[in-house]
Amino acid sequence: MQLDAQAAYHIGIGLAAIGSGVGLGMAVSRAMEAMGRQPEAAGRIQTGMIIGAAFIEALTIYALISSFIRG
Amino acid sequence: MSLLHTAIQTAVIQAAEHAADQAETVHEAVSHPPELPNFVHMLHEIFPGSSLFRFLWQIQDIIFILIIIGVITLFFRSASRNISMVPKRLQALAEMILEGLLDIVCGILGEKEGRRYFPFLGSLFIFIICMNWFGLIPFMKSPSSNILVTASLAICVFCYVQYTAVKRLGVKGFVFHLMGEPKDLIGWLMTPLFLPLHVLEELIKPLSLACRLYGNVYGEDVLLGVGMVLGIAAVAAFIPGTIIGFPLHFPFVLLAILLSAIQALVFTLLATVYISMVLPHEHHEEEE
Repeated sequence: MQLDAQAAYHIGIGLAAIGSGVGLGMAVSRAMEAMGRQPEAAGRIQTGMIIGAAFIEALTIYALISSFIRG
Repeated sequence: MSLLHTAIQTAVIQAAEHAADQAETVHEAVSHPPELPNFVHMLHEIFPGSSLFRFLWQIQDIIFILIIIGVITLFFRSASRNISMVPKRLQALAEMILEGLLDIVCGILGEKEGRRYFPFLGSLFIFIICMNWFGLIPFMKSPSSNILVTASLAICVFCYVQYTAVKRLGVKGFVFHLMGEPKDLIGWLMTPLFLPLHVLEELIKPLSLACRLYGNVYGEDVLLGVGMVLGIAAVAAFIPGTIIGFPLHFPFVLLAILLSAIQALVFTLLATVYISMVLPHEHHEEEE
């Protein structure tokens, strides 16, 4: 079976999404645990979590953008 | 920065090619992702010969930005016209938005510095969230689904952060900050390695800010467009030639409302964090 470039981009986005999905899951689960242990610090933990999540999911967005630009 | 330039150039060339393709062939669904129609584009489609509408279509993001600026200005002017201790409805709404934002910014920067940098960060948030949500109004478009718009916002943040750094740390302190603030001999020996890395980091920050916002908003718009095309195709399978579709994109609209708000918040939070990184440390720790 032969793949064209467009299909390769789509597969690449999928792979990137797997990576950030795993990373996001780990980050958010730890943040939730921390919030459960220390509900009084929930606001600060949430801020840090959102910033970290933004960095993680940016990687998938870069894959998406590269497909917009080249595809 | 040259990477960003190349990316923008490529995007512009690509967009121009797409426009040319669109004019020539109808078969553009494969190469050009579908987007929801906006009224400027529709005017261009209805009057294809008119050079005025073609020009308006080419500068459509500027038109929508001007509309958004008008809406924001109108809202806050009418909210702050008769300021009273017991707020009226509009004033209460505006105060609620601004106080919530101020709490978030002050949580990162501290009370004094937060209030100092809040005008820039708060207007950034309100402008971006309005741009992101504007695409959900029928016949409107999100200006932030264009990389040139998000890149100019990111460049604003970059310039403001560097200006703040030089102003608060001094030129010497700024260079010291870029060297990674070495404290011992090993730190000073590592300087030739750290200096280029930190300079590179400063330059990558606006690039990632711009790409994140653009990718999210544009991806969202394409998702809505694909959902709408699928909805129309689903109905057209039974009733050929229909223009009424099944609202398959509706769940994504709810998702888009949430994600637009989060992306605006993330942009603002990252700008806040970048500012907090260049503030003198002892001030920052005192207030925490």
